[in-house]
Amino acid sequence: MVLASLYFIFPFYWLVVSITKNTSQLFQKSIAPGVPNYFLENVRMVLGYENGVFYHWLRNSFFYATAGALVGVFIAALAGFAFRRYEFYGKRLLFLLILGFAMVPGYATTLPLFMIFKSLRFIDTPWAILFPSFVNVFGVYLMVTYWNQVPQELFDAAEIDGASDFLVFFRIGFPSIATGFVTLALLAFVGVWNNFFLPLVMLNSRARMPLILGITTITDPQGFPVYNLTLTASFFTILPLLVIFVVFQRFFRPQLYAGLH
Amino acid sequence: MIRTRRGRSVFKAYLFLAPFLVLFAFVVVYPIIFGVRLSLYGQRGARMWYVGLSNYRTILGDPRFWEAFKIPLFLLLVQVPLMIFLAILIAFVYERMPRGRAAFYRFIHYLPYTIPAIVAGIVWSYIFSDSMSPLRPLLDLLGFAGVRILNREHVPLVLLVIIFWEFTGYTAFVVFSALLAVPREYAEQAQIDGATFWQTAFFIKLPLVRGVITMLFIFNAIGALQVFNEPWMLGELVVLPPNYTPAMYIYNSAFAYGRFTYATAMGLVLACITFLISLYVLRMASRQLLARGW
Repeated sequence: MVLASLYFIFPFYWLVVSITKNTSQLFQKSIAPGVPNYFLENVRMVLGYENGVFYHWLRNSFFYATAGALVGVFIAALAGFAFRRYEFYGKRLLFLLILGFAMVPGYATTLPLFMIFKSLRFIDTPWAILFPSFVNVFGVYLMVTYWNQVPQELFDAAEIDGASDFLVFFRIGFPSIATGFVTLALLAFVGVWNNFFLPLVMLNSRARMPLILGITTITDPQGFPVYNLTLTASFFTILPLLVIFVVFQRFFRPQLYAGLH
Repeated sequence: MIRTRRGRSVFKAYLFLAPFLVLFAFVVVYPIIFGVRLSLYGQRGARMWYVGLSNYRTILGDPRFWEAFKIPLFLLLVQVPLMIFLAILIAFVYERMPRGRAAFYRFIHYLPYTIPAIVAGIVWSYIFSDSMSPLRPLLDLLGFAGVRILNREHVPLVLLVIIFWEFTGYTAFVVFSALLAVPREYAEQAQIDGATFWQTAFFIKLPLVRGVITMLFIFNAIGALQVFNEPWMLGELVVLPPNYTPAMYIYNSAFAYGRFTYATAMGLVLACITFLISLYVLRMASRQLLARGW
């Protein structure tokens, strides 16, 4: 157990230690922190890299992830509500169709999507990242399960009081699924933050890249990766994720149970 | 028609569904249909012309496409079963441990799952790179000074290390959560009858979480077939062929070699293969269920 845990922890330790080194210290291959400590120097160089493109990456990651999460989960909540609340023609068929189409892997849909976006002049714009991020099929699936847990009495009471459906959704339904909403939003945020293939295909200019893509482009004039800077940038890429995970731990657990049933 | 109660329901339902459906059609359905159409065209630069199923015939005979499956196959046969087995073991060890300690270990083991594959690829490829690896001095000492750590032959092993690192903790957590739902009476009864912990674990509890294990196999199999991020990052330090994995071959064909329609066709073939394998795993699992008389 202890050995296994060392295996899982080691890269974290190595990363933290390595970002205190410059390249020649890295080449010394020790697992002790760098002496003298180059951490601040590394940070300075990363922030200054290519005229501060790091700030763009950081802003882009936050923007894509927040927008993608909030809009995507909200839309999924609307859809889940529809499945729960109403009986309508083609309900089951629609649900199956959605799941069916969603099973097609990203590699098959992203290429044609690239062509579609190219003709719409969306390539290398935020829309090329945002639109796909707004579609959260797993979110719809989970939302349906969350909405199914809302007791029918709540809806019936609202109907008796003559509430319009939008009121029902916002005032009554929403608070009931608030926890689920947060869980999904966190998952979606992380998902968009980490998404590599989509920006790789859709974006060309470095200023539009999210962190996850930008850090792979940190190179010296010859095109070789600059190891210490790449590691430092990687560290800051995962820092928000670790913070989110630690702070919001309890939200990550319920989704497993929902998915298991 | 809309004035009826039922009609109004239908209208409102689709109103709520509209945002999702519109985007879904735009970003998923239409690209798939468009992609199928695209795959029926040949291409040279910006010119495209109809060639029917010719791309698919070429794919069937393209050795580079099928060679690309070596890595997913390796992962499918080695990584997936081994990792799930280890995760099950770890999950049972969680069960035996005192609460607090188990929670601590679960946290540590889950952590790698929160790290994106790209960063995992970067860090691990550096850890194994001959210029920066802390293993290098160790190996030199043991007499392996001439042997490089990170070369093409060793990449599959490095991939194993990375993927195990990323997913074992998460998988163990999922199995553990599923085990929590198993009623304690079964285990207690078995132990009263004289079974040891591990006998109870593998013969009583494990079969009860079959469904979860099957799902894990399927998701891991799908991931293995579509693996892209980790080999891509390793490719920054080691020269890898453009068809190292199917997904890489598809990407490179489209964007490095300009064979976009061909790549689209390959993407659809990969999707079909993935679907078939998922179906196969599901059938194997349900057949086992029937055979045992469950």
